[in-house]
Amino acid sequence: MRRYELPAVVVEHQRRGKNLYELILHAPPIAQSATPGQFVMLRPVRTHAPLWRRPYSILRANPDKGVFSVLYSVQSAFTELLSMKPIGSTVQTLGPLGSSFQPVRSARRHILVAGGVGAPPLCFFASRLAPILQAGEHLLILAGARRADLLVGLDEFRALGAVVQIATDDGSQGYKGYVTDLLQDALEDPIESAVYACGPNRMLRVVAQQCLARGVPCQVSLDAPMPCGIGVCLGCAVKVNIPGSGVWYKRACIEGPVFRAEEVVWE
Amino acid sequence: MTPDLRVTLSRLQLRNPVMVAAGTFGYGLEYHHLLDLTQLGAIVTKSLTLAPRMGNPPPRVAETPAGMLNAIGLQNDGVDAFLMETLPRLREYGTAIIASVAGETLEEYMQVAEKLSRAEGIAALELNLSCPNQARGGIEFGINPELTAHAVSLVRQASDLPLIAKLSPNTGDIVPIAQAAVQAGADSLCLINTVLGVAVDAETRQFRIASKVGGLSGPAIKPIAQYHLWRVRQALPETPLIGVGGISNAADAIEFLLLGAHAIQVGTANYVQPTLALEILQGIEEYLTTHGFESVESIRGTVS
Repeated sequence: MRRYELPAVVVEHQRRGKNLYELILHAPPIAQSATPGQFVMLRPVRTHAPLWRRPYSILRANPDKGVFSVLYSVQSAFTELLSMKPIGSTVQTLGPLGSSFQPVRSARRHILVAGGVGAPPLCFFASRLAPILQAGEHLLILAGARRADLLVGLDEFRALGAVVQIATDDGSQGYKGYVTDLLQDALEDPIESAVYACGPNRMLRVVAQQCLARGVPCQVSLDAPMPCGIGVCLGCAVKVNIPGSGVWYKRACIEGPVFRAEEVVWE
Repeated sequence: MTPDLRVTLSRLQLRNPVMVAAGTFGYGLEYHHLLDLTQLGAIVTKSLTLAPRMGNPPPRVAETPAGMLNAIGLQNDGVDAFLMETLPRLREYGTAIIASVAGETLEEYMQVAEKLSRAEGIAALELNLSCPNQARGGIEFGINPELTAHAVSLVRQASDLPLIAKLSPNTGDIVPIAQAAVQAGADSLCLINTVLGVAVDAETRQFRIASKVGGLSGPAIKPIAQYHLWRVRQALPETPLIGVGGISNAADAIEFLLLGAHAIQVGTANYVQPTLALEILQGIEEYLTTHGFESVESIRGTVS
């Protein structure tokens, strides 16, 4: 798979919520080749501190317009620098990187479990999945966050005709509790399902256990500290089962970030 | 007039002084469509051990001010996989390949070096002396002159290839170690490897990497690397030296050359900007042209 290292042009910082912005970047080669679940490494300014680029999952990609977008909130020196990039300036970008969510074609119901800022790759996935659903297949979105104002992408999911269920820790919107409670209920329905999840790793661990217990195919997008994004530093190690040869570390940036839940050693 | 960028490090001749450092460039192929590998002075591979190594549990890396800590634990596919799968593809680029040799025992260093010397297309060996020494409770081989000399001399016996000893800064005085490495048969020295450090997360009250202690790299260590290079240059005026540690742009690289380095390695900065090594090469060439120097060798050690 081809990856590109290029200066992407800032098209817009679109406010998407309280301290939540969609950064729209013009970079045709990336917009045209990115698939849902993949990410880019961004470097807004050449600085020694912050030093690393940061990985951002792709929220949307429009191949015709040559643009793609990522979601950020201003909460660190890095995101502050990102937020200050004027329209028309460039952000050094490496991508698209990593593995993608793969639609499970035997499933009648596709359950997307989005935890907080884990929603972007699932928004992208839903946008590519909805148009190819067969009669009798449908999308169920389970979106969770600590508070209502941290929920992301609900309008997009609904516009795609998905059923959306919401859970918030404080009950400020939807069910009061964890999104994994909603998943537990959903999995009571014996309809052939597949689960695709992105969010905090502790949420993903529960999602994986719920799916494995019921034999439901599940793909998870994992987060890991990631200095390089191209598989050389081995910093983003994820422990996996290798059939026949025990456990080994794979790289979240190359073999991941999307892994099959049964592959991951959940610790 | 185009300046002459060629450098000679004892028996190792390179088309230019810009290399990529061990562990920061994979086995080279990962970068093949991000930059022109044929332009590099040399590619130093990720450290190779005798058997595949799984490496340390995550988290393995943490960003620190102008740097990063890592404790990867020498994860690699083993020397045999490198020789069979990677080397045949890598040598097609025609760029000098320097294989980084690692081990937890002296025996392992020797065996890895032997296997690498029998292969076609390896220009030199770089001995990673910052490996944990199993027989000495995991302390680095490179922290004392006697262990360093022992490792270098055994690898020297196992291989006829030019031998570069990569020195650790985690020692009181680097000069006796540099002298020991050269006396034991190292053709040249590479300095420095990462600087030991820890990082703590105040919120979780935990170490930020699972194995607690890691190696610091990045711009933060540049003055330390330059200090050690300069001291070794004074103590060993005839020994070819390769400078590494925090090089992030052409000026950084030129500083190392002025302090007496024959060549330099770009390390952590490869993560941040995959095309940087070639940008640095271009910057060195421009510097030489602008200042009217005929060759890269003519500026070596000229700081005053």
